[in-house]
Amino acid sequence: MTRLHVLLRFALGAIFLAGSWDKLLHPAEFAAIIADYRVLSEALVNPAAVLLPWLELVLGLLLVAGRLADGALWLSNLLLWAFWLSLLSARLRGLDVDCGCFSVSAQGGGHMTWYLVRDGLLVVLGLAALLTRGRGPRSFAPRLGA
Amino acid sequence: MTNRATLFQMAGILAVSALLAAFSNAVRMDGLPLLGRGPSGESGAEGEITLDQAAALHAAQQAVFLDARSAFEFDMGHIEGALSMPPEEFADVFPSLASRLTGGQTVITYCDGPRCPLSHQLAERLRAEGVARVFVLVNGWSLWRERGLPVIRSEAASFLSSPPPNECTVCGEDK
Repeated sequence: MTRLHVLLRFALGAIFLAGSWDKLLHPAEFAAIIADYRVLSEALVNPAAVLLPWLELVLGLLLVAGRLADGALWLSNLLLWAFWLSLLSARLRGLDVDCGCFSVSAQGGGHMTWYLVRDGLLVVLGLAALLTRGRGPRSFAPRLGA
Repeated sequence: MTNRATLFQMAGILAVSALLAAFSNAVRMDGLPLLGRGPSGESGAEGEITLDQAAALHAAQQAVFLDARSAFEFDMGHIEGALSMPPEEFADVFPSLASRLTGGQTVITYCDGPRCPLSHQLAERLRAEGVARVFVLVNGWSLWRERGLPVIRSEAASFLSSPPPNECTVCGEDK
């Protein structure tokens, strides 16, 4: 485990923590944003709006603390790809949605390109954190029986 | 690649997150209904239409476009062929257009911004008056302009958005 990996994982965790907060406080607004993407069926909008902020919070805490780091890293990467592909899909369908990434406040229109670039960078950050984890012990727990 | 332990970790994280989410949603005052959409459990009563579908109907002249924004915004610029019908002026404007809108024609309402409620309000009023085929083009004005679809702009709006060709914006000595 390199210092670079710890730094990247910590940064990723901090981003997930920051992203979870506003959504945890305002689930209805977040549900409206998810619905705007028109990716999920209506029946899944509210469950996703309730689950995603908590998942981000738990992932953020685990990434920062370095606990269950492999599972947290893979899940966070899957989430980042899902978010980015949802944005790309909306863009390709001509939708102009609020990102819902860090804030649930209405941002007005015209920011899709910025959202795609920013979330694309987060995807790169997630991949970098995953690929730099090395093949050694992946938790802070001491190695036994060495 | 992931191994079995990592998959177990992922499943555990998902399970714990789901439990926390369900519990917090159950106890908080503004929890969402998990079966259905929206705080009140309502699903969108009025249909929505995509930009591609709306553009195709516009090109084929098979839909009436109603601009739900203010008359001032309409005057500054609107979708080509659209009519102005802000919801607050519905009672005054609708009677003069009723025959055109209630004949089975597809009607598309729009305003500006992804959360703009005006187009939905207008659609609801139209439905209440018996207009059957009403669709909302969400964030219609912005999407329409960004796609470069036909619009009518006032001279003032055109002047503000772009300088006339062959006319200097920062005029120096040389011509």
